[in-house]
Amino acid sequence: MSIFEYNGSALVAMVGKNCFAIASDRRLGVNLQTVATDFQRIFKIHEKLYIGLSGLATDAQTMYQRLVFRHKLYQLREERDMKPQTFASLVSALLYEKRFGPYFCQPVIAGLGDDDIPFICTMDCLGAKELAKDFVVSGTASESLYGACESMYKPNMEPEELFETISQALLSSVDRDCLSGWGGHVLLVTPTEVQERTLKARMD
Amino acid sequence: MSRRYDSRTTIFSPEGRLYQVEYAMEAIGNAGAAIGILARDGVVLVGEKKVTSKLLQTSRSTEKMYKIDDHLACAVAGIMSDANILINTARVQAQRYTFAYQEPMPVEQLVQSLCDTKQGYTQFGGLRPFGVSFLFAGWDKNFGFQLYMSDPSGNYSGWKAAAIGANNQAAQSMLKQDYKDEITREEGVQLSLKVLSKTMDSTSLTSEKLELAEIFLEPTGEVKYQVCKPELLEKLLVKYGVTQAAAEST
Repeated sequence: MSIFEYNGSALVAMVGKNCFAIASDRRLGVNLQTVATDFQRIFKIHEKLYIGLSGLATDAQTMYQRLVFRHKLYQLREERDMKPQTFASLVSALLYEKRFGPYFCQPVIAGLGDDDIPFICTMDCLGAKELAKDFVVSGTASESLYGACESMYKPNMEPEELFETISQALLSSVDRDCLSGWGGHVLLVTPTEVQERTLKARMD
Repeated sequence: MSRRYDSRTTIFSPEGRLYQVEYAMEAIGNAGAAIGILARDGVVLVGEKKVTSKLLQTSRSTEKMYKIDDHLACAVAGIMSDANILINTARVQAQRYTFAYQEPMPVEQLVQSLCDTKQGYTQFGGLRPFGVSFLFAGWDKNFGFQLYMSDPSGNYSGWKAAAIGANNQAAQSMLKQDYKDEITREEGVQLSLKVLSKTMDSTSLTSEKLELAEIFLEPTGEVKYQVCKPELLEKLLVKYGVTQAAAEST
C-alpha cells in the first residue's frame, strides 16, 4: 500500500453561486484498521478561507500548523486576511520547499476572494496547482469523486442545492472506497455565514 | 570623564555603568509617552502620538500599539525603526512557540525571550543597544492578566501600573498615588487618560494625539485585543473631563 493510502481520506470542494462548499470524510485508519471516526481534515484559516488536507494524517496536521504560523504573521504585518489566491501560492511554495522529501498530503483550498467571488484549487504533494472553476477532489476516493462530481455538478447552484450535491457526491464516492467514509463533514460558506454539518453515512 | 568609557557598548565604566545603555534610555526620554495599567478584568495601554502632520499617510492603523499575538500586545516608546525589528522578532517568537507546543506563549516567557535578545546587544557583537522601551500587556492561563515593562538594557519586571517615554517619572508617581488594587478596566482607562493628560506637553487633548488599547476576556473566554476607535476615544475624553483647552474654548 502506498504512503498516501496509509490513513485514507476523501476531500471535495465545489463552487456555487457566490458561495462554496468543502466536504471531507471522517475516517482515520492505520492501513485497514479504523482508528477514529471523527478525524478533522478541513481547517479554517480565516472566516472566508478553508483548507482540506488529504493523505498522510501527520503531514496534514503539520502542514496546517505551519500554515497557521505563516498566516498569523501575515495578518499581523499586513493587518488583513490573506486572499485565497495568495494563500494557494503560499501552500504551493511550502510544499515545493520539500521537493526531495515531501509532505505526503494533497491540499484542497477553498475561499471567497475579492468581491466574495468563490475560489477553489487543489495541488499535488509537490505543490503543482490545479485551478478549477467547478470542483476539485483529493484523497483515496478521488477517482470515484471525479466521476460523481462530473455527473452531479451544475454551475451557479444556490447554497442549499450545493450542499445537497456535494453531500451526495461525497457519500456515493466514499461508499466505493474501503479506506474512507465513516461519516461526512460539510462546510458551506457564503459571504454572510458558515454552515457546518455532519453527514450520517454507512459506518463501514 | 565618562567620554573614555562610553564609545563601546561592551565595556563597563569605572563606576560600573554601561553608558551606551544609559544613552539609549535618554533617547527614549524624548519620545512619546505610554502608560499601562493592570486592572482586575483586563490591561489598559494608552499612548501619546508624536507625529501630527496632516500630510502623513500612515499604512498602519496604530503608531504606538502593536499586536504581538492574539493574547499579547505592546506599547512602544523610543526609536520606531528599532521597535519594528523587535516587534517582528517578538511576533515570530510567539508563533514559533505556538508551532512547537500548540498553545499560546506565556506572557512572561515572551518578554524574557525578547529581553534576552536586547541583552545580547549590550554584551557582545559591538552593536549599539535598541533605543526602545516596551510595555507588554497580555493574558495567559497560568497567571491571568499581566503587565511588563522592559528597557534597552534587557531588564524587565512585572508592574501593576507603569509609564515609559517622556515625563515617565512624573506619570509613575501620579500612578503610584492614584492606583488601587482590583480597579476595573473602565477605571483604569479613566486613570490612564487623566495621568497622560497631565504629563503631556500639548495644550489640548484630542483623540488624534492619543491611542488607547485594551486586552480583556470576551464572554466566550477568548482573549481580545482591541484598539479604541477615534470617535469613541473622543467621547471618553469628554466624559472624563480631560479635553482641557477644548472644554475651555466652548
